[in-house]
Amino acid sequence: MTLSLVLSLLALALVRGTPILLAALGGVLSERAGIVNIALEGEMTAGAFAAALLSYFTRDPWIGAIGGVAVGAAVGFALGFAATRWRVDQIVAGMGINLICTGGAAFGLIYVFNQAGVTPQVPAINQALWPMVVLGIALAAALQWAIARTPIGLRLRACGENPHAARAAGIDPLAVRLYASAIAGGLAGLGGVFLALGELNLYSDGMIAGRGFIALAAVIFGRWTPIGAAGVALIFGLLEALQFALQGNIAWLPSDFLQALPYIAALLALLGASGRYRPPAAEGKPYP
Amino acid sequence: MLDDVDLTCEAGEIHALVGENGAGKSTLAAIAAGEIAADAGTIERSGRIGLVHQHFALIDRLRVWENVVLGHEPQRGGAIDRGSARAFVRELGERYGLDVDPEAVVETLPVGIRQRVELLRELARDPGILILDEPTAALSPSEVERLFGTIALLTQRGVGVLVITHKLDEVFAHARRVTVLRRGRVVEERPISATTREGVARAMIGGEIPAIPAHEPTHGAIAVRVAGLAVPGAIENLSLQIATGEILGIAGVEGNGQSALADALAGLTAFRGTIERPHSIGVIPQDRLLEAVIPNWSLLENVMLGREHATSAKASWRIDRAAARAQCTAIVERFDVRAASIDAPLSTLSGGNQQKLVVGRALVDNPAFVIAYNPTRGIDIGATATVHTELLAARNRGAAILLISFELDELFALSDRILVMTRGALRGEFSERRFDREAIGRLMVSA
Repeated sequence: MTLSLVLSLLALALVRGTPILLAALGGVLSERAGIVNIALEGEMTAGAFAAALLSYFTRDPWIGAIGGVAVGAAVGFALGFAATRWRVDQIVAGMGINLICTGGAAFGLIYVFNQAGVTPQVPAINQALWPMVVLGIALAAALQWAIARTPIGLRLRACGENPHAARAAGIDPLAVRLYASAIAGGLAGLGGVFLALGELNLYSDGMIAGRGFIALAAVIFGRWTPIGAAGVALIFGLLEALQFALQGNIAWLPSDFLQALPYIAALLALLGASGRYRPPAAEGKPYP
Repeated sequence: MLDDVDLTCEAGEIHALVGENGAGKSTLAAIAAGEIAADAGTIERSGRIGLVHQHFALIDRLRVWENVVLGHEPQRGGAIDRGSARAFVRELGERYGLDVDPEAVVETLPVGIRQRVELLRELARDPGILILDEPTAALSPSEVERLFGTIALLTQRGVGVLVITHKLDEVFAHARRVTVLRRGRVVEERPISATTREGVARAMIGGEIPAIPAHEPTHGAIAVRVAGLAVPGAIENLSLQIATGEILGIAGVEGNGQSALADALAGLTAFRGTIERPHSIGVIPQDRLLEAVIPNWSLLENVMLGREHATSAKASWRIDRAAARAQCTAIVERFDVRAASIDAPLSTLSGGNQQKLVVGRALVDNPAFVIAYNPTRGIDIGATATVHTELLAARNRGAAILLISFELDELFALSDRILVMTRGALRGEFSERRFDREAIGRLMVSA
């Protein structure tokens, strides 16, 4: 294998890994605050669809990008609100959000564009692809530092471990969880924006393709740390890149198998991780 | 829960708040500390009111210093100034005799040290009044002394300390005033010098304390025989025997292998060596919520738990609900379990009433062998008397009883014989009810 081939493979790995990385960072944030974030998939979908839609109507991809992040954050806020104020089971709320977002986007395609499956081509921000990759990695480092070292990071961890103790220390766990969930939604939404406007210039049904769940696996396998989750996300990106590189080159291997590679890896990773890594102690438990 | 309660705690005094389980002490503490709101009334305070909880409200996976500074972190350049946070914790510890490593992760610390962390956390906020909810429930005698040493330092500095307890020894040894709460009302409030133990005890339970039956001499055959018992990491080569009609007390500081001994005898852990014991066994586990009950289940379901076949005369594939109800009602009456109904969730009962049900379930089938692990931990005088009476009655019926307790008074009141457990081994034997408190205390802390 030549050096240039390796480099192009690594570059592709970064590009494929970044949307997973962004969603995984969101997952780390909300789970460290105590909210199980199974809704990453839906948040990415909402972000991607909203970005394409806004970019199409305003003809300004930047408005699309910002709108995608905002819609992702709104979905995250909704999850946080249901989990904190209504004390809805977080898994159920997350599944509901995933169904609403994927279904809503499919419906929106028909309702707005009068066609199923895909939007027309929209103005994109392909030139911002690499800056967004760098932004994702920088965010991972910044979040790692913030969670470990800053007062707000300590308070976030306190809410995920023991919200009652956090409350006694004068912290409002409901607010912390709500905002963490909203920011997580924004990050996952940015992951969707990256796919719809960064790599491509459209939204199509199924384009998220389980990346939200892969991001969740990255959160767990990365032991709920931003750097760990980011690293695992990029490994998943590398598997996706490998799949592209190998496609058509190995005749006897069905391409379906190659496409399934990242998902199989995620499954195996979770099997290996199960029981060995401890999630935040109060994760998924309603407060008060 | 509470009705028209007046309570004053003055600066620099130790004020004891006593009362039975469910009298409303913890509720009062939570209201005073602002954790829950009262329906009516006022709270005047000079300075902050700090509360040290009975079940420590610490964050187990954070470090000591993180727990202490949470919510008021020293900062430098947007980040937490960890150096000064650690120094702050160390300084505070030195000032009040609460030394603990600021870097330690809380979950790795034993119970006594965790309490110091909780105290440090409250002291870091410079309280005018400090409320301690059952602070000695899980402490060894030497840790209790140490705690009251710290409390004395606090009062010298003008902090008022409200100690919630039902251990009257502590009240009369340390407090200046005592307030008695019964069923949500203050029934007595006086200086310690103007009251007596008996008077306070009567006020707490609203009547006389039931007398405990006498130790009738029994000369039974050996019922339980343990030889060469070893449990990895806890016990090495332990042997003991218990006769029928005998209560063998095991004294010791928590964490010296008592759990492993109880688990091995109950068949809950793997062991080497031999254990011969009767088949019929009643167990009062160490941790009520973790090992004894399912809080969301009703009293009835909890009583049936593990003894589904005991409810029916003939072995059957179905549960005899009518017989089970009758049995549960009998336990509730005999052990004075105060509950709305036997169909109410167990979690709606106070801790003492839950414990009475657990004891009742362990003893109702008249087992030949009983393991009682801290059978009265955290329960009040009246409930304690009930539990002690029933354990002695079981003994007098001929049961062999292993009593593991961190309370020397309880061991002295019930045991026929006492062994001291340290580091997984038994030492010293005190028999024929001739117990030397000092000798036992020395053995407990000897290495």
